Amino acid sequence: MEEILRFEKIDFSYEKDRRALKNVSVTLYGSQKVAVLGNNGAGKSTFFLCCNGIVKPQSGRMYLNNNEMGSSKKDNISLRQNVGIVFQDPDSQIIAGTVEAEVSFGPMNLRLPEATVRCQVDDAIEKMRLEDMRTRAPHYLSGGEKKRVSIADVLAMNPRLLLFDEPAASLDPENTLLLEKNLNMLTEKGLGLVIATHDVDFAWRWADRILVFHGGELVADAEPETVFSDEELLKKCGLVQPTLFQVGKIFHIDPLPKVISDLKGR
Amino acid sequence: MIITAILAMLVIWCLFYGGITNTILICLCLITGGFLAIVSRHKHEGFLVIDIIAQKSHLNKVNPSIKFWTVLILLFLCVGSKSVIVGLILAVVMFILMVPYGGLDLHDYLSLLSVPVSFLLISALALLFNYGEVASGVINLPVFQGYLFVSQSSQLRTGLVLSKALGALSCLYLLSLSTPMSEIISVLRKAHIPDVVIELMYLIYRYTFVLFEMYRSMKDAAKSRLGFVNFSISVKTTGKIYSNLLARSYQKAMNNFDAMESRCYTGEIRFLEHEKKISLMQYIAAVSLVVIISGLTFTLH
Repeated sequence: MEEILRFEKIDFSYEKDRRALKNVSVTLYGSQKVAVLGNNGAGKSTFFLCCNGIVKPQSGRMYLNNNEMGSSKKDNISLRQNVGIVFQDPDSQIIAGTVEAEVSFGPMNLRLPEATVRCQVDDAIEKMRLEDMRTRAPHYLSGGEKKRVSIADVLAMNPRLLLFDEPAASLDPENTLLLEKNLNMLTEKGLGLVIATHDVDFAWRWADRILVFHGGELVADAEPETVFSDEELLKKCGLVQPTLFQVGKIFHIDPLPKVISDLKGR
Repeated sequence: MIITAILAMLVIWCLFYGGITNTILICLCLITGGFLAIVSRHKHEGFLVIDIIAQKSHLNKVNPSIKFWTVLILLFLCVGSKSVIVGLILAVVMFILMVPYGGLDLHDYLSLLSVPVSFLLISALALLFNYGEVASGVINLPVFQGYLFVSQSSQLRTGLVLSKALGALSCLYLLSLSTPMSEIISVLRKAHIPDVVIELMYLIYRYTFVLFEMYRSMKDAAKSRLGFVNFSISVKTTGKIYSNLLARSYQKAMNNFDAMESRCYTGEIRFLEHEKKISLMQYIAAVSLVVIISGLTFTLH
């Protein structure tokens, strides 16, 4: 797996004595599925903004593709192009009057030639299956469609790492399923995905790796089974064990079931 | 809507009194008033409706630049004309383009038109009536020692003002009911309006919807807690909603700015624009319309 982003002892605080990120060291790779857990205010969102260069760490080092990132404009732009954030509320992301214009905002900001922009926009629109809504105004779309637009927004910049802030919040079950399908499709294309979520069941069935934040610190970075077996950690961070994990433990199933179909074959 | 109908009847009566026979006049009044009262329905959603209509209109497929510039020229011609005919022709042409051709619902069109038209009719009444010592008009109403009268010249003048206003209004409606805001803004950008203005227009347009949505949800939440149970409470609630709206929009603005920055925003808003092709027929239609109307404007007095 190729390394994309590496944090070394990153510290950040919004106010003097309230540190939002404490001594965070972590490495993120391509085509990996990472879930980020932690209660509200644990530092997940700040971590994301930091990955994107929107908030600047007060101390520590950041590396993108093994190059140290400073605060120059060039570094910022390459950080933002390589790492994309899909915000929790699509409305805070959408600014244009048509879906196509909206998706083009990122690549246009990268000052790419128009033909390239068009190509990347078409590609992103196709991946998120938005062809029928190209010329429609984003504010008249449904919640699920808006979410797809906000993902296409970021995809159009050809990032290598995608960060999602609670993507399934306020989506109905059908759209949540569609979202998971799209996530798998993106992983197949080789993108690294990092998803902040409160849904432990989702984290359990989807993720290869779990990061747990608590009070601004990265308190766990391990495989899902290790994280969810550590009951002390779960209690401390206000997390619970996923349902299927518990079922597997009760019935001594090995390996532990990740999805319902794992139980059906028995 | 009933009020607009009554107003329209009143204005038509005053406008044509003495010019045509009373039977025809009464018929004209009743037809107009009845038509307006029966056909139109009132709606409250305001500008949101305009935007939806513009997205759906068949004329939305037409290149926005040609629409914008044609409408602008026609608007100036209409305002500059000295004849009633020009305004009326424009009103009819625009009506045909919008309703039968553009696929706009007649009810929707009339209810949208009724808002500015009621203002227009009230000012028409003000223009029609003069006050004087002697009864020298076509219609004379004794008031105190003098008369409120409608003279022939004021009838002519009001007719001209009304037709000009109606024509100009129809032109603007054609543009706004067939062109989504984002396209109008892109035409303005091509016309070299300063970037700051253009970017502000994009943001204002977009955030009108965000703010409106926010306002609506706050209002509903207040309603469900009896925030609008009587007048004095309503006033208080509205004040609170507005101040909250300010605080929340400030918060939202910060989130939005973060989101823009994360997509490499560096101080300039640019989008990919989709050029809509201008067909030969559209060129011919636009040019001939402009030629005919300017011909009429410069010949008729």
